[in-house]
Amino acid sequence: MTSILMDLKGAGDTVLKIAEKKGLDEAEAYLVSNKVLTIRLVNNAVFESKGVHDIGVGLRVIKGNMLGFSSTADLSKKSLKKLVNAAASTAKARKLPFKYSFPKPRKIPRVAGVYSKKLAELPSEKAVELAYDMVEASMGYNKKITDNAGVLNIVSYETLVLNSHGVSARNRGTFFETSLSATAKRGKSVSEGSEATAGRNLKEIKPKNVGEKAAEMAVSGLKSKKLKEDTYTIILDYEPAVGVVSYISYLVSPMIAKLYFPLFLDKLDKKIASSQVTLIDDPLMPKGVGSEPVDDEGTPSKKQVIINRGVLQKFVYDSFYGAIEKKKTTGNAIRASFAVGVSSFPGKNYNGEPIPFPRNPYCKPGKWKRDEIIEETKTGLLVRRFHYTRLTNPTRGDFTSVLRMGLYAVKNGEVAGALKKSRLLDNLLNILKNVDAVSDKLVVAGSWGDYAHTPIIRTKAHVAPID
Amino acid sequence: MEEDSALFAVGYASKLGADYVDARLEDHYNELIIVANGKVQRGVINRKRGMGIRTLVNGAWGFQSTTNLNKKSVRQAAKIAFKIAKASSKHVPTPVKLAPTKNHKTSYKTKVKTDMENIAFEDKLKQIINWEKKLHTSKKIVRGLAEYTGLKIHKMFANSEGARIRFSNSLMWLSLKADSKKGATTQSYEKTTGHSGGYEIFEKNDMEKISLETGHKAESLLKAKAAKTEKDATVILDNDYVALLVHEIVGHPSEADRVLGREAAWAGTTWWAGKIGEKIGSDYVTAYDDPAINGTLGYYRYDDEGVKAERKVLIEKGVLKGHMHSRETAAIFGVKPNAGMRAITFEYIPLIRMSNTFFGEGDWKKEELIEETKHGYLISCMRHPSIDDKRYNWTISAKEAYKIENGELTTHLRDVALTSIAPKFFKSVNAVTKKIEVLPLPGCGKGDPMQALYVGNGGPYLRGVATILGVK
Repeated sequence: MTSILMDLKGAGDTVLKIAEKKGLDEAEAYLVSNKVLTIRLVNNAVFESKGVHDIGVGLRVIKGNMLGFSSTADLSKKSLKKLVNAAASTAKARKLPFKYSFPKPRKIPRVAGVYSKKLAELPSEKAVELAYDMVEASMGYNKKITDNAGVLNIVSYETLVLNSHGVSARNRGTFFETSLSATAKRGKSVSEGSEATAGRNLKEIKPKNVGEKAAEMAVSGLKSKKLKEDTYTIILDYEPAVGVVSYISYLVSPMIAKLYFPLFLDKLDKKIASSQVTLIDDPLMPKGVGSEPVDDEGTPSKKQVIINRGVLQKFVYDSFYGAIEKKKTTGNAIRASFAVGVSSFPGKNYNGEPIPFPRNPYCKPGKWKRDEIIEETKTGLLVRRFHYTRLTNPTRGDFTSVLRMGLYAVKNGEVAGALKKSRLLDNLLNILKNVDAVSDKLVVAGSWGDYAHTPIIRTKAHVAPID
Repeated sequence: MEEDSALFAVGYASKLGADYVDARLEDHYNELIIVANGKVQRGVINRKRGMGIRTLVNGAWGFQSTTNLNKKSVRQAAKIAFKIAKASSKHVPTPVKLAPTKNHKTSYKTKVKTDMENIAFEDKLKQIINWEKKLHTSKKIVRGLAEYTGLKIHKMFANSEGARIRFSNSLMWLSLKADSKKGATTQSYEKTTGHSGGYEIFEKNDMEKISLETGHKAESLLKAKAAKTEKDATVILDNDYVALLVHEIVGHPSEADRVLGREAAWAGTTWWAGKIGEKIGSDYVTAYDDPAINGTLGYYRYDDEGVKAERKVLIEKGVLKGHMHSRETAAIFGVKPNAGMRAITFEYIPLIRMSNTFFGEGDWKKEELIEETKHGYLISCMRHPSIDDKRYNWTISAKEAYKIENGELTTHLRDVALTSIAPKFFKSVNAVTKKIEVLPLPGCGKGDPMQALYVGNGGPYLRGVATILGVK
């Protein structure tokens, strides 16, 4: 056990004791040590290098049928007493109309490849060099590249869940994300390209690959034409495919569905996508970007099918939302704070109660090779990047994204040249129902803190040029 | 608070050789309550304190935060902030320079009548449950949602130039939302009440009335007609819609880091880079960013670089006048820094952010605007934005609209969005009301890692031309 985890365990044990002494029926301490190192690149230079080391505890308590929560970053005994009092005071106000108890201890599985000592202990000077290598690779790819901006985030975390039932579940992980946006210029023509990926190990950081791919997209867009507004067959490459899966993740969280995005609420056991679409959540996947042995309330992870051949099979649950609907937790508790003005970093946060959410979701690969999907498309579009993606009507499913870069015409099975900035405007259900091809390999893609394993998918959507 | 530790951090990093150091020692308290359909979804109290140390070494920025304020941890954090800046400086061809500013030594507080901590959490929750209940004005309301956030922040800023600023802030807001349904038609309406100050805002405003009005509005939209697409229509935009419009097409593109292309890989750039002094809109278009407005969500007197807040003139009578700056971007543009830097907590490096961005006043009355419009639309209350990366092409939906025929409001419309090109729209503005309003807008995102911040936005009623999109 690392010294930081020993410190955390000590604080957790203290909290549970204080809670018991105060007469609370149950208590659960979620303890976190989360380190984030960010190297931000701007205008072909290192713009800022910044680090965070956040240590703290989130506490849930149950008294009768009342549930409370509070958190603190101060692990002194005085502060921990205050923490228990605050959690108890929020409990007084929150009476539950159903029986609720924290999870009981269960056997914890193992997950390989989610922690890399080398990544966790990477000296900051090395991280700066790795980040800058992306710029050099992009600049070296083509002389038309004039500008680069991007980021390298390295996260290492340890968490510990302790509760009154004897749960003592630990997670330890490392994570990185690398992204670069390149700008190419020729005469008056300006074009952008980007590439982003993420992973768990130092070995997976490939700055040259990221830099070159971003540059390639930027240069390829220098000669671009305006598209005609129409409904197209569209091939969603890895990053936009993650954009679609991300929204599905929100929609299958009963909390988010009930509060904000109700699109799937009345669609359980109904066909919501074509038979090509099977969505799996597998937090046991070795090296998975969202993989871990336990969820954020100590429930063992398991693989599950959420959408099976287009039919919505289930919503995902933590213990609380499970209790509301008289269902068992599916091991999908995550702690994320969506609160404004409150810290929320990549990695782990202790200042929010668990919410149910898919942890390592992906669309099950199909039979097609990526190139085959393009070859078998007579007329359509290849979309390599989404930007500013929104579910503008979360009840109806209106869906929009700016196709800012990486948009190409596909003609007779070939990529036939870049297209100018456009906007996708359609309905998410239509997009899912029109999926007719899924590629055979999972690749890690995403952007701005949102990464997943994904194949590419082909569907249909309405696309209009942006003047 | 352990103020000495901030001074220690500044002194220690300076001794290591940093050219500039600042430390932000902060203590945060926040409350969050979410109630939906009578059920409490969240009831949370969070506390966090710690320090962020920013260093400038050989012209490169370094930053490290810590939640452990003992001397050893602070020393270690200062050391990392120094070391990482030094390592970065190898790849900074143009060293950062800071525009000079006065070294203020001051202390100030947000005016608070009723401290949020002096009201029992239980009592607040009871009130919020009641306000959520009032949203259910009939069975047609299928979902009610009340989300309350309260923040108390004590911060001490110290830098190696001698600035020492203490600020105690208190902010809160409550969003009330009702979703209505009849057959296959679903609609929603939402109202946010908030300010910088104490819990008195919920005593001053009749929250039950606001809840009932929100529920009734959501119901009435079920009877409204779906809007039809109309190109280049005359539109009168109300304060609420204008708040989101000014946020998206004036506020964000006015951030100097964005103008310099520094946000290109994230939120984007701006179409008006290099156009300072150029006419980009009609004489009716004036816009400001002003942190020093008491009671607003964007209120502060000194930013997170210790620069004294002032009203920034962004657009004046259609001419692009200036941007929001950090000390660094002010030096690049050769202007005075204007207090644009903020971070949501000590764990983040500050960024250039909006405070209260709003369109300036005109001399019309709202009634006159409508009376003098033969055919047009009154567009009311913001909904969702979708804006391109240069803030050039914009589409923003509204909760509702009314047709204007021969100077009178006629048909009630729903499912409406507007779209236009920013300069085209700015040039089309031909009337602006005298009365302006700055509204709370919690939830403005920027940065990597993302910082979700609270701002104020608004302005007058404003008349211009845009394309109406009937949302399918």
